[in-house]
Amino acid sequence: MSLKIGILSFAHLHAEAYIQNLRAIDGVEVIGLADDDEQRAEHFARLFGVHRFRTYEELLDAHPEGVIICSENSRHLPLVKMAAEAGAHVLCEKPLATTVQDAEEIVRICRQAGVLLMTAFPMRFSTPLLEVKARLDAGELGHVYCFNSSNQGELPKKHRAWFVDRALAGGGAITDHTVHLVDVMRWYLGSEVSEVYAVANRIFHADEVEVETGGVVWVTFENGVFATIDCSWSRPPYWPSWGGLSFEMVTSRGAVWVDAFRQNLTVFTHTLQRPYWAFWGSDPNQAMIEDFVQAIRDQRPPRVSGEDGLRAVEVVEAAYQSVSNGQPVRLHRRQL
Amino acid sequence: MRVGIAGVGFMGSTHAAAWVETSAQIVGFVAGSPESARPLAQKYGAKVFLDFSSMLDEVDVVDICTPTHLHVPMILEAAARGKHIVCEKPLALTVKDALEAVHACRQAGVHLHVAHVVRFFPEYALAKQIIDQGQIGRIATVRLLRGSYRPKKPVGNWFLDESKSGGILVDLMIHDMDYARWVAGEVESVFARKVSAVYHDSPVDYGLVILKHRNGAISHLAGAWAYPPPTFRTRFEISGDRGMIEFDSQATSPIENLTVKPYAEAPDVGLPSSPVRENPYTAEIKEFYAAITEGKMPRVTAEDAVAAVQIAVAAVQSARSGEVVYLKPL
Repeated sequence: MSLKIGILSFAHLHAEAYIQNLRAIDGVEVIGLADDDEQRAEHFARLFGVHRFRTYEELLDAHPEGVIICSENSRHLPLVKMAAEAGAHVLCEKPLATTVQDAEEIVRICRQAGVLLMTAFPMRFSTPLLEVKARLDAGELGHVYCFNSSNQGELPKKHRAWFVDRALAGGGAITDHTVHLVDVMRWYLGSEVSEVYAVANRIFHADEVEVETGGVVWVTFENGVFATIDCSWSRPPYWPSWGGLSFEMVTSRGAVWVDAFRQNLTVFTHTLQRPYWAFWGSDPNQAMIEDFVQAIRDQRPPRVSGEDGLRAVEVVEAAYQSVSNGQPVRLHRRQL
Repeated sequence: MRVGIAGVGFMGSTHAAAWVETSAQIVGFVAGSPESARPLAQKYGAKVFLDFSSMLDEVDVVDICTPTHLHVPMILEAAARGKHIVCEKPLALTVKDALEAVHACRQAGVHLHVAHVVRFFPEYALAKQIIDQGQIGRIATVRLLRGSYRPKKPVGNWFLDESKSGGILVDLMIHDMDYARWVAGEVESVFARKVSAVYHDSPVDYGLVILKHRNGAISHLAGAWAYPPPTFRTRFEISGDRGMIEFDSQATSPIENLTVKPYAEAPDVGLPSSPVRENPYTAEIKEFYAAITEGKMPRVTAEDAVAAVQIAVAAVQSARSGEVVYLKPL
């Protein structure tokens, strides 16, 4: 029997990738999508040749085993709630929420409803990052001391206008590009963030948006490891790709440089009139979606949890606090 | 013009080679021991002085390439004797000392040039020029990285003595602190941490520094004494509201050497190098020489050197206290 999955909202562009990832898995049936934006629903239903439910309720009435939520960041909570109440397992786009309170609520609701909750952190499935994690666990790299990392990108506004809308996105570059690396480091270290310092500015695209477009977030872990995350939307629109995620990990044996998106061809075409990078590495989204599906089938926790999503949101909230008071902020971790 | 060089380590010998390219005459060298000064003295047909003050008797300019903690006393002595001064970076280990050195030179009417050589590296100088032409617009973020291995013992051991060198944040990272300030303007606050302050017995060291500039720009500086010898790698990425510049010494190296190089052959301290017609140290000494002899304004001033010391000292303080250090205008 096939496993039925639905997609709640196409507000986030990753939904476009996830639907194709789902279709590449044997025994998975994409039952359709629902979106509160009718035009968007119509557009993507036609584009992907998939059934369009008129409302979220209608989609959930079709009893999907799981749903993928790709709404605007601030609208995750109500959709998670509906899905959990309908008994559907949830894969929620990152960041899990725009406030710690919402993120906590999301985790609690899913736990009470007994449904699985996974946060969409595809970097946990990136093959270069998995390789480094394996070497680290095998003791080949020594003890980790610090990270110098970046998750820079272009202004995401051209993909979706809401990405730069504080009310819907939660903020700017800090909200968008801090969570992946926080999660990678928590995963590598098995330690939690204890302190956050952050600086931000709005110099890139100053005339186009009101949220911060440049920033660096500094996190310190309970085990002493410290790290910087450059989350800036500093990549110009003519950069060879959307951006990237890379880090230098300093250890007792030296340093390891890791770039999750370096497995590229550099392509020069008359059409584009500038070089672009064509990625030939393994698609981390595919592996992530497969894990979600497999977790449902096996009734086991997915490899990324809702708590992982919450911990990253806690860092984002603390980063904004630090930006406004100009000093490091102690992180108060929510008890679950 | 007669030059005397104090210190015969890597910098003393590099500066000596650069002075040869000017019309100045190298009169002699002074070092911790006369024996250690002999090879360079022989090479340049110059004298070995037994102490700094006897060297001052016979020169117009002194070039101070000694360990950092010795800079200021030597500057004060040279200035009192009316000698012009070229001094290795960092100028001093405290802001108070740095200011005292500058005031003494000003009062004595002698030149003080501090060797912030990064400004003379062609890739860094060109980036500065492109920024000044407005090609990438207003600067928003500056990322700088400078990485090598820990200075070897015994020659390099003063580098590892923080009371003498200031450690990685001061000795290595002051290069990029000066450069960040050069391209992005005055610094408002500093936040920093380094591995050796958290892990006291770490075999490597690594510093991270965030600078907030008064105009809103953010600089992110990384300094490594963590790579295997003979690695010396620099990178930068400077982004503005109208474009960006990136550089990676490894990616732009015109020669990739895949021959075996034993550790013993690596120099005592890691050095940057890319084959160019005039090495940056020579360009630097020539510019200082022209400043002294012709009164031409050099690209780096003694005041810049004081500002760099202020940032470096704030970084040390921040790494120690865990707090953000806000700078007072000098």
